[in-house]
Amino acid sequence: MKRTKSLAVVAGFAMVTLAACGGDGGDGGGSGSTSKDKFIDPASSFELVEAEGAAPEVEGAEEGGVITVLVPSDPGPEDLDPTNGWSVLGNSIQQALTNRSLTQYRRNPEGGTEVVPDLATDLGTPNEDFTEWTFTIKDGVKWETGDPVTAEEVKNGILRSFDTETFTSGPGQAYTVGWVDCPEDYAGPTKSGDCDAVQADGQELTIRMSKSFPDFNLWSTFMAIGPIPLENSEFPAYGRAPLSTGPYKIPEGGFRVNESLRLVKNDQWDPATDPARHQYADEFLIKFDQDQEKTDQILLSGNADAATTVANSLGATNANALKEALGSNYIQQTGQCISTRTPDYNKIPQLEIRQAIAYGFDFDNVQLASGNIPGVTRIPAQGLMPPGMAGRKEFFPAGEQFAYNPEKAKQLLEEAGEPGFKLTYIYDDSDAETKAGAEAEKAGYEAAGFTVEMIPYQEDAYALFDDADSPINKKLNLRATNWCSDWPAGSTMIPPLVQTGQPYNTSYFSEEEVDQRIEEIATLPIEEQADAWGDLDEMIAQKYLPNIVTAYRNDLFGAGANIGGFTGDAAMSAINYKDLFVKP
Amino acid sequence: MSIPGEVITTHTEDSVVEDATAPRELQAGRSPLRIAAHRIRKDTVAMVCLSIVMLFVLIAIFAGTLADLFNVNLTVGRPAEQLDFLGDGMPLNGPPNYGFDPEHPFGVAPKTANDNLAYWLYGCRTSLVIASTATLFATLIGVVTGLVAGFAGGVVDKVISFVIDLFLTLPFLLMALIIAPIITSRFASDPDYPTIQKFGLVAVLVFFGWMGVARLVRGETMSLREREFIQASRVIGMPTGRILFKELLPNLVAPIVVAVSLMLPGFIAAEAGLAFLGIGVTQGASWGQTILQASPYFEKYPLYLWEPLLGIVILVVALNLLGDAIRDAVDPKTRR
Amino acid sequence: MFAYIIKRLLTGVVVVVLVSMAVFALLWYGPESPARPICVQETSNRCTDERLANFEESMGYNNPIYVEYGKYAKGIFVGREMALGGNTIQCDAPCFGFSFRSRALVWDELIERLPATISLAIGGATLYLLLGIPIGIAAARRRGTLGDKLLVSSFLVISSIPYYLFALVAWLYCTLVWDLPVLGDSGYTPLLDNPAKWFAGLLLPWLCLGIFNCTAYTRYTRGAMVESLSEDYIRTAKAKGLPARTVVYKHGLRSALVPVVTIFGIDLGILLAGTIFTERIFEIQGIGLWGLRAVGSFDLPVISATAMFGAIVIIVSNIIVDVVYGVLDPRVRVS
Repeated sequence: MKRTKSLAVVAGFAMVTLAACGGDGGDGGGSGSTSKDKFIDPASSFELVEAEGAAPEVEGAEEGGVITVLVPSDPGPEDLDPTNGWSVLGNSIQQALTNRSLTQYRRNPEGGTEVVPDLATDLGTPNEDFTEWTFTIKDGVKWETGDPVTAEEVKNGILRSFDTETFTSGPGQAYTVGWVDCPEDYAGPTKSGDCDAVQADGQELTIRMSKSFPDFNLWSTFMAIGPIPLENSEFPAYGRAPLSTGPYKIPEGGFRVNESLRLVKNDQWDPATDPARHQYADEFLIKFDQDQEKTDQILLSGNADAATTVANSLGATNANALKEALGSNYIQQTGQCISTRTPDYNKIPQLEIRQAIAYGFDFDNVQLASGNIPGVTRIPAQGLMPPGMAGRKEFFPAGEQFAYNPEKAKQLLEEAGEPGFKLTYIYDDSDAETKAGAEAEKAGYEAAGFTVEMIPYQEDAYALFDDADSPINKKLNLRATNWCSDWPAGSTMIPPLVQTGQPYNTSYFSEEEVDQRIEEIATLPIEEQADAWGDLDEMIAQKYLPNIVTAYRNDLFGAGANIGGFTGDAAMSAINYKDLFVKP
Repeated sequence: MSIPGEVITTHTEDSVVEDATAPRELQAGRSPLRIAAHRIRKDTVAMVCLSIVMLFVLIAIFAGTLADLFNVNLTVGRPAEQLDFLGDGMPLNGPPNYGFDPEHPFGVAPKTANDNLAYWLYGCRTSLVIASTATLFATLIGVVTGLVAGFAGGVVDKVISFVIDLFLTLPFLLMALIIAPIITSRFASDPDYPTIQKFGLVAVLVFFGWMGVARLVRGETMSLREREFIQASRVIGMPTGRILFKELLPNLVAPIVVAVSLMLPGFIAAEAGLAFLGIGVTQGASWGQTILQASPYFEKYPLYLWEPLLGIVILVVALNLLGDAIRDAVDPKTRR
Repeated sequence: MFAYIIKRLLTGVVVVVLVSMAVFALLWYGPESPARPICVQETSNRCTDERLANFEESMGYNNPIYVEYGKYAKGIFVGREMALGGNTIQCDAPCFGFSFRSRALVWDELIERLPATISLAIGGATLYLLLGIPIGIAAARRRGTLGDKLLVSSFLVISSIPYYLFALVAWLYCTLVWDLPVLGDSGYTPLLDNPAKWFAGLLLPWLCLGIFNCTAYTRYTRGAMVESLSEDYIRTAKAKGLPARTVVYKHGLRSALVPVVTIFGIDLGILLAGTIFTERIFEIQGIGLWGLRAVGSFDLPVISATAMFGAIVIIVSNIIVDVVYGVLDPRVRVS
């Protein structure tokens, strides 16, 4: 899932919940200093739970009120078409408030994350080898128009995600195309007609896979695996005003691209059919592309408007002041996202040099210059699998935690026989923070005995890394990838980053041994897969180190005093919009 | 938006120098420029402004030396050591929370811990280099087109006047908005991008800044054209080029000096303004860029914002007042 | 007079056509490929050469520029159908294309943002007239006194400060530092939604525009008044014993106002064309901010529309001013 502003792309599904200080215990305030190791122990749970509506009430919840959500430095989704939704922000809002799919996430009172049924009566029934999944659509689920939601419409939604040419930013290109058993050139119902891999019979929906897909009911939390009306749902018009199935709907003209999204109550939503969502507030007003400083100041001012305001991100410089001012409505949410530096595997074959880069990465200074808080919003990292992911192993790629150590880096360069090795990487000079971060990184490498060339580049970095013929790309030997899991499993972290030929494998790493193991793990019994990913992660890092994982990512969220039910959604690395209410 | 308007009219200290020395080449005695120079010398405000401007020019020229003198440079800071990042993010030494820090006389920036003084000094250079280059070229273009239009008259004049009017209808800022992404998309990946960016900016300023001088020179030329000494030169068969540059031009120096003296501060303001909008200089140091980055910190760390802000304000106000004084001094209608 | 107006209008049309051609050509030849921004947008940053070629094809960038300019110009008057990816979008007249970013029609977005810019420009302009002219008159009547000198020099200093810094500091202090009750609430609310909020939200930007620009009007008015008060007919009026008020306001002001009103017309045009700094600083969703955002996302049709709109507004206001001036001052018509 992509993070719009940073370099990141794809997916943000974290399952871990996060050790926020001043959590529900309400120690109200918290002192000034923050220790660096606060997040290492994610005591959390992630489980599949069969559940029925209505959702358990949130303690102290009241009806009414308008909640304003400020989204700093992120222009928001370009359209709201469910099939196109693959961003943390857009999906976290839409899936919580307007668009239902087959399954969904729910936060339990202990702070753990559960996968519960949504439109389907249960979490689906797979056949023995997970190549066929059957769901039954609940009766009584309606569109905002009052028409019932049918299995035929869900089928339409699933098949529609095959049209990757129209829905270029949709997640279907990674998952439906890869797993659902439709012909290779199938391009959705409008272009290619029907596909028999998805069958709708009455309220029953059967999906046939081309290969074993045990995680289908995690993938089906995406709104792309939800209903799309058979009529009047052409792109791009539908993307501006999609019909709602959730507790809120978009009034006419409610969505202004990159500016705002207004949501009002949907009276056709029946709480009895929904085990996770609530309909407490009367309205949501989401404002995109806000100024970070202004947002912070509004929350700090504590006035009447601020009391019902939620901020999707908090500025690093005001973090401490906000923590004191907001008390329990200040949340540090761990994400399942990693930032990596990817040394070109063909140009830098020596492991020593790759390790030297890791020792030359000046973590504290780079994070600060980039507008992050080291140890708070970015924590030092080890392997590809972020904390809380099932099967994650505690290990250090070089026997100890990589920390900035110019002497060690120099020594490694000497050992490799390449003192003064030249690193070439790109940076975006149009964004002050990115630029400052790149410059701090350069200073760190130089002190560690590297020579550095930085090339300003303002367009999409991944497109450049993907273009083998680009003269700029040919010059680079150090690239970067920011990656979040799509759901909390090693299978959405490791293969995309290290398998031969994957678009986000920007180190161009290719080792027969690793590719083979990836294929093997997919065929292992389900229970063994998680640990197998953990072992593989360790093996790759210690033996090859194709990705230097520089940080695990955390987010800061804040809300005014009158906002209740304010928690993080660990699964989405976002705010949990499902439980929000306004205190009277 | 006041920028396009102000661009049309003003002055450089180059021309002040020219001002003071020019009369020697001209006839001795009562040349209008000598009178003007004399008047300016007696004008306290103008002289104060002139000294301020000269000071900034010296800073710009010796930015590197001054930075060495204070032992500061543009390289990145060490935020982890210099900032209280787990506290309020402000520097551990020097402003705003602590007293003067001799190692960083202007303090260091939040987030990056870059040295403010170094950025201020080099920002001053960027500002003056871009504005004076743009002024030079805009004046050249303006003088040549104005001379040609005014002297040739007829169709040539009609065409040039139409082009001038056409350019005057193009809103400067909006046009800068169009051109900025073109320059970026064309040259962003070029290794010389920082230089190209500055030249692009100069080109934009020149492109939309030459009309004021052109109109002025055209008008003056038209009235001079009919005067006896020009008629006489024509009669004795002096080549047109010689008439233009040897006879006409010296008589136009005064109005050009005035126009130029009001153009320079306009360009300085425009350069910083574009950087503030994020479509000007993004490479290297620029006052406008620092203002953009500093405005979120104005409350916690006002000095960070006020340093570049006062730099621009003082320089631009001084230049404008100086320009105004020159205009008064050159204008024969104003009494002493 | 009629002939004069027609002539002025015709030149105006020619200028508009030339400007539109210039803008079109700039955005055609300027970027490496004009289709790249939309391609990048539509493919979520995976714009391969092949896809780029498709977009260039479907958007007509393979045709000669004059053909496409013809289509563009025709679209403005009768509308056209435009291709986007695999879809066609009906773009009704006046068609300025669709925004690469929001996929909405540029004209619709323009109309949506216009009220904010108009509110801002008209309010600001009214304020600077209301402030500038009376102060200018007062200064002219007290010419040479200490008060006059102080006023003239302090206004000279104010007008020498770059406007955006003036506005930025005003915004920072009124909104964030002092958090003033009404002034601190800047932002745009449509007039019809909530007149009180509309007024409160725009008050600070108006004041900034007003105070900053009134200095120029004070200078114009003072200068014009000084000149007209030294005319013979004023001396005559004074001599025949008319009260000072009548002389100043009825006789003096009338002739002094003509040039001031002229400049006002042109300034208002420039304001309407895009109050970029004001909108950027006070976060008012008007034309200027729209254009600035479009630059950030390479939204070429919006960029071209803002520039076109700005140029047209300025041209039209120039024509109106010329015509009004012609009516007021017969000498202009003749030349």
